[in-house]
Amino acid sequence: MSRLRRAFAISRKDVESYYAKPPLVTWGLLFPSVLILAIYLKDRSGYLHVAPGIIGMTLLFGATSMAAVSITFEKRAGTLERVLLAPIGPGTIVLGKAVSAAAFGIATSLVLAAGLAALLGMPLARPLPFAAGIILGAGIFSLLGIIASITVREVFEAMTLMNLFRFPILFVSGVFLPLDAMPDWIRPVALASPLTHIVELIRLGVHGESSLGSAWIPAGVSALFLAAACAAAGPVFRRFATR
Amino acid sequence: MASVRVAGLRKRYGDVNALDGVSFEVASGGIFAYLGPNGAGKTTTIRILCGLNERDAGHVSVCGFDVAADPVAVKSRIGVVTESSNLYPELGCRRNLEYIGELYGLRAADRRTRAAELLDMFDLGERAEHPFGTLSRGLKRRMALAAALVHRPEVLFLDEPTTGLDVPSARALRDLVRRTAASGATVFLTTHNLAEAESLADDVAILIRGRIVARGTVDDIRRRVGEARSLVVEFSAAVTGERLREMCLSVRSAAAEGGAWRLEVSDLHDAVRELSAFAEREGLRIEELDAGPPSLEDAFLRIIETGDAGGGGAR
Repeated sequence: MSRLRRAFAISRKDVESYYAKPPLVTWGLLFPSVLILAIYLKDRSGYLHVAPGIIGMTLLFGATSMAAVSITFEKRAGTLERVLLAPIGPGTIVLGKAVSAAAFGIATSLVLAAGLAALLGMPLARPLPFAAGIILGAGIFSLLGIIASITVREVFEAMTLMNLFRFPILFVSGVFLPLDAMPDWIRPVALASPLTHIVELIRLGVHGESSLGSAWIPAGVSALFLAAACAAAGPVFRRFATR
Repeated sequence: MASVRVAGLRKRYGDVNALDGVSFEVASGGIFAYLGPNGAGKTTTIRILCGLNERDAGHVSVCGFDVAADPVAVKSRIGVVTESSNLYPELGCRRNLEYIGELYGLRAADRRTRAAELLDMFDLGERAEHPFGTLSRGLKRRMALAAALVHRPEVLFLDEPTTGLDVPSARALRDLVRRTAASGATVFLTTHNLAEAESLADDVAILIRGRIVARGTVDDIRRRVGEARSLVVEFSAAVTGERLREMCLSVRSAAAEGGAWRLEVSDLHDAVRELSAFAEREGLRIEELDAGPPSLEDAFLRIIETGDAGGGGAR
């Protein structure tokens, strides 16, 4: 209980300190909003096909960017060292950082989804898979953001490092092109990307159907990705936090 | 009883031997100064003692707990002021202290009370809501010390606490360190400012190239550097150090100190006689003459020059 309380203290402090930082506003809200507006203006009926993908992308960029900001800002200012000097294990620190990053990802993707629903009439056919996609995605992406950003010192280094995997997976994860419309050779790559499964869960939520059929497959695979990210984050954090 | 025990501590960074078999103990209560030139291994030692870095070999315990085996037990009993004032620049002073309290598991009411107490004690009450980043360097150091005391640590580590501070801020911070020690905490201090170590510390260790070369009280260390004496002399007109050394054979070294000269001399009696003769010959008056035992700074510089403390090694 005490561990959870301390993790929550870290999350709350991160929200106070970093939620209004420019990289977060840019990547978390501005970029996806502009993108969806551009698609809407080009094809008013077609935006619905890409809406789940853009919501998934917002989740990816929001959670990873918040993780990058909260880790690298603190590493550079020496405040991460202050947290490391407190009587708490690395797992608690990772949990606290992950919760604040995940909450940012969830908030930005929900703001976008709410905007799409209110202004453009986006439906919500199955709320449960939609919620599962948002929550699992937020967990996976925040932990991936922590793993990537703890290895560097500056926020731009973290963003560059993360863009090495964020941009390529956008194009293989069904964000702009549904899974069943992809060439056969790219499908195995798509299935190896966590974003694919998150987008499919959100697609199920919005449209009530997905290329992967049942919600159990993307939900199960996403849960495995989350478990793997949890297992990796603690040791990586311990190894790089004081470097 | 010892608050800190270090035995055979070794740490390498690549080819560099940062710590080469360092051993010492720090008794509970009082102020311990850990001195050494840049790169001697002081910060590495503190980081290992605080559980931030891992050691390659040796045994380290703080408050009776092995740092590697039980880092949480150690961290809950220590406070650390690192070289940089690492608090959250965008948060207010009170919020910073309350957040640190949360990390140490203090209850909400205790956090509020302790933060108010520390702000008052460190004369920061008026700036309680000011963002930490807007404070002057001196106030930031004060806040960093207050933050290290939130959970009432048994051992307080201070890494170069007054570096970069102006004289009044440094003096105020030293007073706070004295008050902290007087309240019962053990203070482990690293500093380049030897006058600071001399004025604060009960016990001193000198670390050079990763090895302890002298250990004891300030008086012990002074004694170990031999018979050299320190003399401050001021003449009625300017003279050069070279001329002083040339004309006064007992002067081993001469360093300008304001308008005066700080001399290290081999024999006090001979030095005074030679200086009088020198003044007479040069048509000068001796305006001030102050003799005393070598300062810790003299001893420290001598140890660095010779690489040992005249037989007083680590113990």
